[in-house]
Amino acid sequence: MSSDKVTKTVLFSASLLVLIVSAGIVFSLAKGSIPAFKEFGLKFIITNEWNPTSGKEVYGALPFIAGTLITSILALIICLPLAFSTSLFVAEYFRNTRVANILSSLVDLLSGIPSIVYGLWGFYTLRPFIIKLGLSDQGFGIFTSSLILAIMIIPYATSLSTEIIAMVPDELKEAAYSLGATRLEVIFHVIIPTASSGIIASYILALGRALGETMAVTMLIGNSNVIPSGLFATGNTMASIIANQFGEASGLKLSSLIAIGLILFAITGIVNSLGKYIIRKFS
Amino acid sequence: MSVNNIPAFIDNIDGRNKKNKLFLGLVIALSVLTVLPIVLIVSKIIINGIGQINFNFFVQTSPDSLQAMSAIANQETIPGGIANGILGTFLIVIVSSAMAIPAGIMIGIYLYENQGRRYSNFLRSTTEILQGVPSIVLGIISYLWVVKNITNGFSAFAGSVALSIMMLPMIIRSTEETMKMIPNEIREAAFAMGTPYHKVILRILIPTGFSGLSTGILLSISRILGETAPLMMTALGSTIINYNITKPTSAVPLLIWEFYNDPNMVKLVWSSALFLMIFVLTLNILSGSLSAKRKTGRKK
Amino acid sequence: MKNLLILVTVLTLLVSCNSGGKKVTANDKKVTITAAGATFPMPFYNLAFKKYTEITGVPMTYGGIGSGGGIRSLQDKVVDFGASDAFLSDKELSEMPAAIVHIPTCMGAVVIAYNLPGVENLKMTPELLENVFMGTVTKWNDPKMKAVNPDIKFPDTKITVVYRSDGSGTTNIFSDYMTKVSNLWSEKVGTGKSLNWPIGIGAKGNPGVAGTISQSVGAIGYIGSEYAFAQKIQYAMVQNSSGNFINPDIKTVTSAAKGQIPADTRVMVTNSSDPEAYPISGFTWIILYKEQSYNGRTLAQAEAGVKFLDWLVNSDAQAIAVSVNYASLPSDVSSVAKNILRSITFNGKPVLK
Repeated sequence: MSSDKVTKTVLFSASLLVLIVSAGIVFSLAKGSIPAFKEFGLKFIITNEWNPTSGKEVYGALPFIAGTLITSILALIICLPLAFSTSLFVAEYFRNTRVANILSSLVDLLSGIPSIVYGLWGFYTLRPFIIKLGLSDQGFGIFTSSLILAIMIIPYATSLSTEIIAMVPDELKEAAYSLGATRLEVIFHVIIPTASSGIIASYILALGRALGETMAVTMLIGNSNVIPSGLFATGNTMASIIANQFGEASGLKLSSLIAIGLILFAITGIVNSLGKYIIRKFS
Repeated sequence: MSVNNIPAFIDNIDGRNKKNKLFLGLVIALSVLTVLPIVLIVSKIIINGIGQINFNFFVQTSPDSLQAMSAIANQETIPGGIANGILGTFLIVIVSSAMAIPAGIMIGIYLYENQGRRYSNFLRSTTEILQGVPSIVLGIISYLWVVKNITNGFSAFAGSVALSIMMLPMIIRSTEETMKMIPNEIREAAFAMGTPYHKVILRILIPTGFSGLSTGILLSISRILGETAPLMMTALGSTIINYNITKPTSAVPLLIWEFYNDPNMVKLVWSSALFLMIFVLTLNILSGSLSAKRKTGRKK
Repeated sequence: MKNLLILVTVLTLLVSCNSGGKKVTANDKKVTITAAGATFPMPFYNLAFKKYTEITGVPMTYGGIGSGGGIRSLQDKVVDFGASDAFLSDKELSEMPAAIVHIPTCMGAVVIAYNLPGVENLKMTPELLENVFMGTVTKWNDPKMKAVNPDIKFPDTKITVVYRSDGSGTTNIFSDYMTKVSNLWSEKVGTGKSLNWPIGIGAKGNPGVAGTISQSVGAIGYIGSEYAFAQKIQYAMVQNSSGNFINPDIKTVTSAAKGQIPADTRVMVTNSSDPEAYPISGFTWIILYKEQSYNGRTLAQAEAGVKFLDWLVNSDAQAIAVSVNYASLPSDVSSVAKNILRSITFNGKPVLK
């Protein structure tokens, strides 16, 4: 029995690691953001301006909060039907066939592409395509970035849910079939309810990835530090402004960037909780 | 069963079958649509990158701007390779994995074993938030914690710390979800036989869930293989091969960033990306074959 | 798993035996030099560091994390030198833990790149630059454009301004010049590594700006000269303070530094009075502590660093700069730099004899 206690204690201590690391991150970020909040107050969060001109510096986080939320949520919406279909294809309809294995490997390939390469591809292939479609003059903007984000997060949304869907016990499915259910009904009434928590976990993983993505977005979003005026307008995201300006920043600007990092941390938490709440309401 | 008591939905068998076929069509169509950008991106990487790949690519260190410039002027392949990046990446990834994988699996199992408790829910939410921290912020954090205070200089270890924090949430969540799909009877049977807790974990839970666990691990390794921003502020980069984790090291994504910014070396960006992509594919194939060997006979 | 391990071992062995003949690894010598900072001179520094390692055996590393990052790293004492495209202001100097010296290492220029097929030898005056970048001239066939370039047939195309979205020394040099030549710019935009741009698209890094310009007909923007020269991008001649239209090249950039240079080398050489000078030019610096014994540093470490810098401002290393499209320091600036190096001390005694 006492060896069990030891094991339980070890597991519990491991769990503390997450809390310690997160608390450490919040602490370091908070420490770095103090100058910004002292200068601008909590209004920093809703200030819609980013002016680095020396002597008249005004920094605010609102344009970037807007950009991050819009691009990430749009990316998840675009990615969801694609990822879900792919998971069903590989784990249910065509399980263990060669086609499914090829599809699965192709999706896995996506996860190995560095984000700068996504940015390059987006810049040289996606952007002209958007321009040709007449959707935007220069091809930069919210829509283009959301599209590339959606492609980038497909492997995250797919991989885990494919595994989970594949692990649904056969007896449950066979019981439903023996009652005369069609495949569609088995999917929606047996597989999804059983695998729901895993599927949702994978989408939240994907959303987290989208919220924090820098390189690809920064190369396609147009980098204008204002709230985007439309789906095809340019804008900027929190992760992107940090990546763009951090190398050269100092003083008040540096502190403002760290404050944005802290706000991103908070927003990720809010978006995640909101998402789970909405899903719980619908099931 | 009396014929008069047939439930209403059986009468609608045609409608249900139609919906069934329609949905299958939709799934196939969307899966094809998913494949389209994949094929486009992958082919572009291969076409642009394959030209630079030769034996030297793997064993020589990165070229400098002058060598690249003369090679382009003479229309030859750029000399040198990315050996310093490959070995640096290996070093950093191995150290990160050594830190993140055991911790992640343990925490995932803890969450699984303690479902529904308030502490677990809080822990899970915190893990999901950690997932959304941009990689550059983790780089800044590791700079503050490790570069400034621990190794007193840029180092591979600082890079590993940043990357392991990135790996952790993915491994934790996929471990927990995998464990949840293991039928409870297996676990209870083991306990009923008096197996000590740690053996249940090591001999029953982990092997049964191996495929799901390795998916999570693999996903997290693929994620960090391509990360540039956190390494810029921690491992810094290097033109030589380095095995000392307290010193600056190169890494493939760092080299990609250098190649991208140097006007003469853009071609090498695609070759390095091709390398990373093939490496991830190899990892996936290896892990897939490993899980196939270990699958217990619960699925057809 | 076993196969993967075998593969890794074989690969590692292959590489160790075959690293292009270089027997130096980071474990060999005790003295290694680490520097971090500006991305602008990175190709030059990487090449120079490599040559120096070949000559002396001292392993060197450079990380292009940005001038701000370089200054911070030096402030945190985690590097031997920092590298910055902008010199530290008096206020910034006072925030450093100890006295800092600036060593200029090479020069570069900001070229005005554009995308107009068939249009060669574009000339820009300071007034035109102000008009274009502030949005008062919006089409290429505007009369003001034609007045400066009477021989060119301009198409009826919109002008798209492209600027650097990331903080950059290139932006600093460009805006410093614009502030000097345009009252409107000085009032509305000012000088700095990142600015509140009135119009245009932001792209990240030289490759971002160059890529955007090359993909959009009618685009105009500013790029670092080393990048533009290497990629053979179309750029304009700019009228300098003497009224001459100057083509940016290595000679005209170096000319911009001729004249008064202060003993601490902290000066912006934009809008130079030299009649041959390209007006949008500037230095890049390496910064280090004047007193080198701190944080447990050894005399050997200090000597290695200072000796390297002495080599870097000399003609051999400067020729390396030119070979990768940077402009070399004029000889009077090299002398000033060497004087500064001789003032660097270890425990009060000069490091260089």
